[in-house]
Amino acid sequence: MPADLVPLASTSQIERTPSREDGIPPDLEEDLRAFGCKLIHEAGILLKQKQVAVATAQILFQRFWYTTSMKQFGIGVSPSLLFFYPTRTPQFITQDIGMGALYLASKLEECPLRMRNLINIYDLLLQRTSHALSPKTKDPFKYAPMSYFGNTFYDLKDALVVAEMQILKRLGFNVHVVLPYGTLINYLRVLGLTSRKDACARAWGFLNDALQTPVYALYAVPTIVSAAILLASRQLGISLPSAPSQCWWDLFDAPWEDVWSVCGYVMRLYRERAPEERMRVLRLVGKKDVRGWLEENAVGS
Amino acid sequence: MAMASGSTSSTSTPRKRSKWDEEDPDDIAIRQQQQPSKRSVRTRSRGARQPSPVRSELHPATTGRPSHPLHSIYVPPRTHHPSIQPSRSVYCYERLNQIEEGSYGVVFRARDKETGDIVALKKLKLDEEKHGFPITALREINALMSCHHDNVVRIREVVVGDTLTQVFVVMDFIEHDLKTLLTLMPSPFLQSEIKTLMLQLLSAVAHCHSNWILHRDLKTSNLLMNNRGTIKVADFGLARRYGDPVGVGGLTQLVVTLWYRAPEILMGATTYSTAIDLWSVGCIFAELLLKEPLFQAKNEIELLSMIFKLLGPPTSSSWPNYSTLPLAKTITLPSPQPHQFRQRFHHMTIAGLDLLMSLLTYDPEQRISAEEAAHHPYFSESPLPKHPDLFSSFPSAAAGERRRKPFDSPSAPVRAADYKLLTEVDLP
Repeated sequence: MPADLVPLASTSQIERTPSREDGIPPDLEEDLRAFGCKLIHEAGILLKQKQVAVATAQILFQRFWYTTSMKQFGIGVSPSLLFFYPTRTPQFITQDIGMGALYLASKLEECPLRMRNLINIYDLLLQRTSHALSPKTKDPFKYAPMSYFGNTFYDLKDALVVAEMQILKRLGFNVHVVLPYGTLINYLRVLGLTSRKDACARAWGFLNDALQTPVYALYAVPTIVSAAILLASRQLGISLPSAPSQCWWDLFDAPWEDVWSVCGYVMRLYRERAPEERMRVLRLVGKKDVRGWLEENAVGS
Repeated sequence: MAMASGSTSSTSTPRKRSKWDEEDPDDIAIRQQQQPSKRSVRTRSRGARQPSPVRSELHPATTGRPSHPLHSIYVPPRTHHPSIQPSRSVYCYERLNQIEEGSYGVVFRARDKETGDIVALKKLKLDEEKHGFPITALREINALMSCHHDNVVRIREVVVGDTLTQVFVVMDFIEHDLKTLLTLMPSPFLQSEIKTLMLQLLSAVAHCHSNWILHRDLKTSNLLMNNRGTIKVADFGLARRYGDPVGVGGLTQLVVTLWYRAPEILMGATTYSTAIDLWSVGCIFAELLLKEPLFQAKNEIELLSMIFKLLGPPTSSSWPNYSTLPLAKTITLPSPQPHQFRQRFHHMTIAGLDLLMSLLTYDPEQRISAEEAAHHPYFSESPLPKHPDLFSSFPSAAAGERRRKPFDSPSAPVRAADYKLLTEVDLP
C-alpha cells in the first residue's frame, strides 16, 4: 500500500546528520531533538491540541534535522533568553522549527491553531526555560505576557511563517505521516493482549515517548509498534512466542535488529542525567546558542 | 458484438503500444522511480547505525532466519520507503508556455532539463497569506502525494524558486481537459467510450474515498485526458481528508462548482460525505451523454428547481431526512411530479438510466457508492467499454497545438472520415 510509504532517512543521512557535519556531537543533537519534541508536546497540551497533530508535529520535527543542521535553525525561539545573555544582538530572530512544525501539523490534521495562541504558549514555555536557567530559580516563576501589538509578536509571527515554509521546503513538501496508534491496537488484538489493560497502556505510552526520539524518521510503523509491545511485555513479564522460527514480531514483518534498535532509542530517554547535562540542553534552544556553544567548544582550532 | 470488440482491441493493442513505447512519459517516470539509487545500500549497512545502545545483546532468534523474509503487502520493506529530500529548484525546469491561469495560480508547461520530460508546473499564489502556507494548497499537495492511482494526476515533486513565496507543484503534463474536449470535438463520445471514461473516473473516486479523501470539486474541467484515452482526476484544491464519523467540527458548504453541487450541500448540510462526489460524477456522466452540462443554473435556487424538475421534488421516501436540513424550511417544494430522466435521455438503455438515477439520488444515504457504481450492470452490457488505446487523439490546446482547419469547414468530410476510421474500429 503506497499510502503507508512515509519518507525515512537514508543511510548517509543517518550516519552523518547535517548537525554532526557542523560539529554538533551526536548526544547533544539527540538531547536537542528530544527537548524540541518535549516543547511541542507541552505546547500541545496547553493549547488543548489533538494528540494526532502533536504527534505529527514531532515526527516532522525529527525528519527536519535529517536535511538541516541545528546550526542553521534553532529548535525553539528564545528571545526571552536575551535577558540572561545581554551580549547578544537584539535583531536576533530564531526560526523556530518546533513551533512551525506544530503549526503545520495542526493544518495537516484539520485542526488549525491561531498563530497568536501558539506564539503566546511558546513564549510562556521559553520564559519558563529561562527561569529554570536563571540564578533566581528558587523564586516562583512569574509569566510576563508580551504586548498585544508589540514588535515581539510580529517578529515571532514572521519567524513562524518562515519556519513553516522552511519545513515544507526542506522536507520536499512530503509531509505524509502515518501514526502508529491504529496499528498498535490491531497488533495487541492479534496477540490477545487487549484484556491486559496495563500492557496496552504501557505500550501506548512507549509509542508516545518514542516521539521524542528519531525512530519515526528511521523505521516503518510496524517496527516501532513491535518495539513498544516488546518493551511493555518484557517490563510486565508477559511471555509471547519468541523462539526462533515462530517469533511474534515476524508476524508483523518487523526485523529483530530494528525492533531492538528502537527499544534502545526509547530506553535511552529514561537514563540518569547529571544536572549540568540537563542544563546544557536548556541553554541551546536557539541557533545562536548552538553557534556560541560550537565556538566555545571548538576542537582543534 | 462483445466478442468482436474484445478481439479487435486485443489485436490492435500491441501495435499502439509499440508506437508509444518510445515516448511514454509515464513509463519513463516509473522506470526512474524504480532505479534503486542508494536505497538498497541502506538496509545493508543498517548495522552501522548510530546509537542502538545494547547492540551486542542480539536475540537468539536472529540466527538461522532467512535474510529476506516474505513481506506482507501492508508492510513494504524499508527499501521501498522514499528518503527525506529537500525540494529542488524550479531552475531544474525550462519554461515553455503558459497553459491557464486560475484563482489558485498560474499553470505552465515546462521541460525537465535532465530528463526532457514535459510537465505541468503550477505556481501557487502565496503573496497575501496571513496564515502561513495556505491550508488548501497543503491539502491538495498532501492529497495528491498520498493518492497514487492511474486515474489521478501524478504529482512528481514540489519545487521552489529563489524566495519562500515561489512554490511550484510539478505534475504530469496531460494534453486535454474533458470540458474543452467536449466543446471542441466534432461528435459526442460513443457509449463504449463513455463507459471507459466513467469506469476510470469511478475507480479514481473510489480510490480517493478509500484513502479518506473527499475531492469536493469534480467537474469536467477538472478531468484531464491524454491522447491515450486515459482520464486523470486533477485539481484537488478543495479536497480534504475526512474522518469517521464524518465532518466533526463542521465542513464548509462553499464547495463544488455550482452545476455539480449535491442537493444536500445546497440545503445547508454541514456533515456531508463521499456521496457529494458521487452526485458530481452523476452530473459528469450526464454531461458526457448530452455533450453539455446537465444543470446550467445561474444560482442555487435555479439549480434546486432544475434538480426538482429532473428528479421530481423530494418525498419522504426519496429523501427521509430532507426536513431536518437547515434550509428545508426556507424552500417551498413544487407540487409532486414524476422524474423526467427518460424524457431527457432518450437513447439510454435501462441499465444506463438506472446508473444515472442511482448517482443522481436525493438521499446521500441511498446514493450509490463509487465501488458499487463501478460494478453496475451498465458496464457489462453491450457495447462494452472501449480499450483506452483505441480512443482517437485530438490536438492539444494546452500544448499550444491547433487544429489546422476547423472541423466544420468545407473540407470537413475528409477529416471526419479519418475520425470515423479511428473511432469505429471496435464496431463489428
